[in-house]
Amino acid sequence: MTTKSTDGKEIFKDERHYHPQATSCLNEKMVYGAQNKSSYVRDTSLQPFETKAETFEVKLPEGVRAADVTVELSYEVQVPENKVPIHKETRRVTLDR
Amino acid sequence: MRSKSLALLLLTAAPLVASAKAKTIDELAAMFDSTRCKQCHAEIFGQWEKSHHARPLMGVAGGLMMIPVVRSSAFQLKSPKDATLKTFPCFKCHLPQAVTHAEDSVAVELAQALWTASERDAPEKDKAAAKAKAAKLQITCIVCHNEKAILHKLVLGAPEKDVIYGAKDGPHGDPTDKVFTKMKKSAVLGQAVFCGQCHGTGPNFEFDYPIQCATLYGSYQHNYLGKGGFQSCQDCHMRKAGAKSDHTFPPNWNDKEATSKMLAEGISLRVETLGYQWLRKAGALTPMIVVNTKIDNKAGHRIPDG
Repeated sequence: MTTKSTDGKEIFKDERHYHPQATSCLNEKMVYGAQNKSSYVRDTSLQPFETKAETFEVKLPEGVRAADVTVELSYEVQVPENKVPIHKETRRVTLDR
Repeated sequence: MRSKSLALLLLTAAPLVASAKAKTIDELAAMFDSTRCKQCHAEIFGQWEKSHHARPLMGVAGGLMMIPVVRSSAFQLKSPKDATLKTFPCFKCHLPQAVTHAEDSVAVELAQALWTASERDAPEKDKAAAKAKAAKLQITCIVCHNEKAILHKLVLGAPEKDVIYGAKDGPHGDPTDKVFTKMKKSAVLGQAVFCGQCHGTGPNFEFDYPIQCATLYGSYQHNYLGKGGFQSCQDCHMRKAGAKSDHTFPPNWNDKEATSKMLAEGISLRVETLGYQWLRKAGALTPMIVVNTKIDNKAGHRIPDG
């Protein structure tokens, strides 16, 4: 989730990651690769019939009353740089009523 | 020349008759070669060719995913000649026909190919040849429609060598096919449990290092079914067009656009925002934006999984 001021300056950025996480069970380090994984120790995956809810709070800098929020959901294949886009939403959010 | 041609014809015509196991990659590939299915099932064959079942040893984007197995895992080899079927536990799902129909020499040949393909100083043509060799090993029609088609062997017996298992009983083909002469209805081919043979439930404890790869079927059983789901893997990953099931088995991770579309259909994202000033205590207003996101997964299993 990225928040930018209306003139394009980045104010805030945060990421959440959803995936099963496995170790070899020989130590505490998470590993990739079926040949290395022995069991899951944590699972933040998107589960069937469950809603994954997140809240991001962004404190606005002095004098900023509006910002552009972009939320992107993507699937990272093997490496973070290899993204398959799923959804992208952009909203302008203002303090003004 | 004549006797060599005759021998080759016999091998092609009767892939599962020979009781001897394959000694080479070429022999194993020939044993399960399904190109003859294309004659009558061209559309389905064309779909399968695009699927990951046609390239089970080639990772996403065409990499040789088993290089780390032989080079750096608990199953690593000092030399390719030390390879055996046991040093490739991945075969259980990625090449099940090797487990039942190959000798250790096939493992040695594959290990050599992986070694060459990952050798920094190997000539590019050797690397390409090694990759092409690994690419010959596929989950072909015969693997699913014969080798893996019967789960309940104690009551139904082993798959018969001249039978293609599918949706119905009867002669196979018109005129009848010379190799697979009969069709028989498989009890499980259309059920999720069939896919579960390979698409995993959890750690594979039968190996001397319990590897864990795909756990889709476990997720399906314990999470999706447990929450009231009724659909099968085939309902979403082999959608029917008329009487035919889609044999591309999406997603195809090498087709980003189609995969993106499939993921977008299965996962929804709702975003709500609020701009206001939070008051911690008198006089201490903090202007802020709050973003709430809600993601729902409509698939029959966790995402991601494999």
